[in-house]
Amino acid sequence: MNEMNDPGAGLSRRSLLKAVGTSVGTIAMLPVLSDEGVLAFEALQRTKAAPKLKALTPAQYATVDALTEAIIPTDAHSPGARAARVADYIDLLLSESDAALQAAWTSGLAALDAAAVAAHKVPFVKLQAAQVEALLTAISANEAQPTTPVEQFFRSAKDATIRGYYTSEIGIQQDLQYKGNQYLPEFVGCLTEDGKDCPHCGQKAQAKA
Amino acid sequence: MHMHDLQPSAPVTPGKEPFDAIVVGSGAAGGMAAFQLAQAGIKVLLLEAGRMLDPQKEYKTMEWPYKDLRRHRLPVGEFALQAAEYRTLDRPYGLTPEMQKYKKVMAYSGNHFTKDWIVNEKEHPITGTPYAWVRARVLGGKTNLWGRVSLRFSDLDLKAKSHDGFGEDWPISYADISPYYDTVDTLLGITGTKEGIPHLPDGLFQRPLKLNCGEVQVQRAIAKMGRKLIAGRAGVTTDGVLNNKYRARCMGRGRCGRGCDLNAAFHSPAALIFPARDTGNLVVRTDSVVSEVLVDDRTNKATGVRVIDKNTKEVMDFRGRIVILAASCLESTRLLLNSKSATRANGTANSSGVVGHYFCEHVMGPGASGILPSRVGTAPTNDDGRPQSTYIVRFRNVTDKHPDFIRGYGFQGASGAAEFPANAAETPGFGAAFKKTVRANYPARVNYGGFGEVLARKENRVFLDPEVKDAWGIPVLKFDYTFSDNEKKMAADMADTAEEMLRAAGATDIVVRRNILTEGWSIHEMGTARMGTDPKTSVTNSFGQTHDIRNLFVVDGSIFVSASCQNPTWMIMALCWRAMDYVKEQMRTGNL
Ligand SMILES: Cc1cc2nc3c(=O)[nH]c(=O)nc-3n(C[C@H](O)[C@H](O)[C@H](O)COP(=O)(O)OP(=O)(O)OC[C@H]3O[C@@H](n4cnc5c(N)ncnc54)[C@H](O)[C@@H]3O)c2cc1C
Ligand code: SF4
Repeated sequence: MNEMNDPGAGLSRRSLLKAVGTSVGTIAMLPVLSDEGVLAFEALQRTKAAPKLKALTPAQYATVDALTEAIIPTDAHSPGARAARVADYIDLLLSESDAALQAAWTSGLAALDAAAVAAHKVPFVKLQAAQVEALLTAISANEAQPTTPVEQFFRSAKDATIRGYYTSEIGIQQDLQYKGNQYLPEFVGCLTEDGKDCPHCGQKAQAKA
Repeated sequence: MHMHDLQPSAPVTPGKEPFDAIVVGSGAAGGMAAFQLAQAGIKVLLLEAGRMLDPQKEYKTMEWPYKDLRRHRLPVGEFALQAAEYRTLDRPYGLTPEMQKYKKVMAYSGNHFTKDWIVNEKEHPITGTPYAWVRARVLGGKTNLWGRVSLRFSDLDLKAKSHDGFGEDWPISYADISPYYDTVDTLLGITGTKEGIPHLPDGLFQRPLKLNCGEVQVQRAIAKMGRKLIAGRAGVTTDGVLNNKYRARCMGRGRCGRGCDLNAAFHSPAALIFPARDTGNLVVRTDSVVSEVLVDDRTNKATGVRVIDKNTKEVMDFRGRIVILAASCLESTRLLLNSKSATRANGTANSSGVVGHYFCEHVMGPGASGILPSRVGTAPTNDDGRPQSTYIVRFRNVTDKHPDFIRGYGFQGASGAAEFPANAAETPGFGAAFKKTVRANYPARVNYGGFGEVLARKENRVFLDPEVKDAWGIPVLKFDYTFSDNEKKMAADMADTAEEMLRAAGATDIVVRRNILTEGWSIHEMGTARMGTDPKTSVTNSFGQTHDIRNLFVVDGSIFVSASCQNPTWMIMALCWRAMDYVKEQMRTGNL
């Protein structure tokens, strides 16, 4: 979300360039929030309240929450998707999307549960950690070219998780430890630029050609 | 910083004594025209179709995504066209059944930050071949969101025909324009490094932007191939400009494309229009949609312009001694075509019949990204805090001759961390390992994308649609424009060389982009009212003065003869300054 390449267009040009190269038509289409949705989400985050579901059923919400946390879990370095409330974000986005997309998620979640039941006889939320690992490993094996419904759903859910998590305060500040969006009077680049050997990368100073 | 008083706009109505000059449009071209003339004591009326803009309120430069609960998504009811849709949707975009559910349909660069500036395709339809036409209707036009890459044209561009035989040479050479590049550099501020490259001339640069460790690595690797990676040249003042109280030096926040609230990045309102207004010689009338140039066919002179008030739709005529079109390339062209009479059946200043033809731009899309192993796991640095990163200079058809295509391309790109980890979607898997890889690779990503010259071919053109009209009843443009074999072969080479350079730099996980993006994607329209010495094959002289009507000028990208592969805005402003010096002289000597 910067304009490092020409684009002053920022957000949209970047993500579109991406969409062209990869999968247009998966979660690239997550919709946008109405003002009401925005306020609801804000309140929910501020008060750390239990989710007030708008699109997902409680059972579906639990599955989305477990799945997003499985994709980006809490680790020693930083909190994960659950702490960043990615599932709430997805619920709100879905609540304002068209019926086709909602249906895609409903059937995707059902396909995920069906796969869990087939492999381990319990729905997704009841899986042990090792079982989640095994199931998602199988489902994501084809993620570059997903074909079956459950593979396609995984790709969508992963894209949504990436978007929800890495635009959250936890994702940007705690996980990535992003250094930008500060007043920076002088960019400290590679020190070879100042004619020195660079202690960061080990490249040696060179006389400018 | 104290901003200018932002009255909606002067409540000017026709009937006052004629203005010395009427300028149509307030972007890079109109801003520069108004500034030059107002500074010289000439009374100017600037007519802008969009509304007034308050940069302090509207440039949300520092906003975090999580402070906006939509995470910077568009609100419900607003939609920005996606790349594939330009080819799959029926035109006019925005009027098709799929798009009916949206209140506002925008070109692809409509986003959270720009949505109030980008036009609604429902009010501004276009027809014909697919074209991603980005239009910003607001004070300052597209300069509020532009990418700031500012590169000079050289004689390799201006005399391209002499070099390879295709098209036309410009009627000027680098020696004619370089003094004006110098004054634009000084007035507005530009950052860059002196490189001494003949085909990418140096400017009067302020403090340069440094390369980061990954970029130096690419620079060194490709130097061995005889190619040059240089620090970005951006229309940004890194040291500050003393001549303008509305602007401050760059403080490296890196979100200039949302509008830089310090106005360190060049944006026409603070850089040109507010100072011009301070002279007392400029009246700005916003919400003023110019529909045609008024011409007295007996004297063969422009007498003024017809305006439709954007909101009330009231029609009024404004009179001026000279008329200067700066509405952006295709809008100025549309105005010429729409200004008709019995003796000017195919438009004004169009006795040559070439208005609308020789439409050219840049071809975009091909490029490559990858991961530099040496940067994996290093501490993130503020890489996207620079207002521009790096540029790989054209290396094709400079001294050698490529067997497949003529002309050339350059690459824009960078290495390093950015607020959103673009590598995440490219990282396979899930779980702790996925999360760790995203984090480790995030400072190590490198990405370059090409901008190539599209040949100015007569058959590529725009013309008025005989039926479809915009919301103000003005005929819209119909496009008849496609890339030729030359662009396709060049684009294939762009993808190959991008990959080859990232490999040479030791990148892994290389993703090569081979697709050409929809026509128009580069937002660099040029050539539809080209300059020249022969009135039979060109529309204006080198000062933008139309051959047919002495007191009618065109000063935006439409007067370009060829596109080069350099971004056009700095050239638009250098040419405009030169044209305005000519206007001043002609007015002083009574010729205008
Ligand atoms: C996302 C993005 C990135 C870009 N990156 C770069 C870059 O890195 N380098 C570069 O050189 N260029 C870049 N550009 C292009 C650059 O913005 C344009 O070249 C430049 O703004 C052209 O100036 P202009 O004055 O001709 O047109 P504009 O800036 O478009 O201004 C035209 C003005 O005329 C007004 N107007 C139109 N029709 C009428 C009418 N009928 N009556 C009255 N007013 C009218 C419009 O409302 C507008 O305000 C970029 C553009 C965008 C959108
Ligand atoms: S990086 Fe510089 S030019 Fe860009 S927004 Fe920040 S201060 Fe403005």
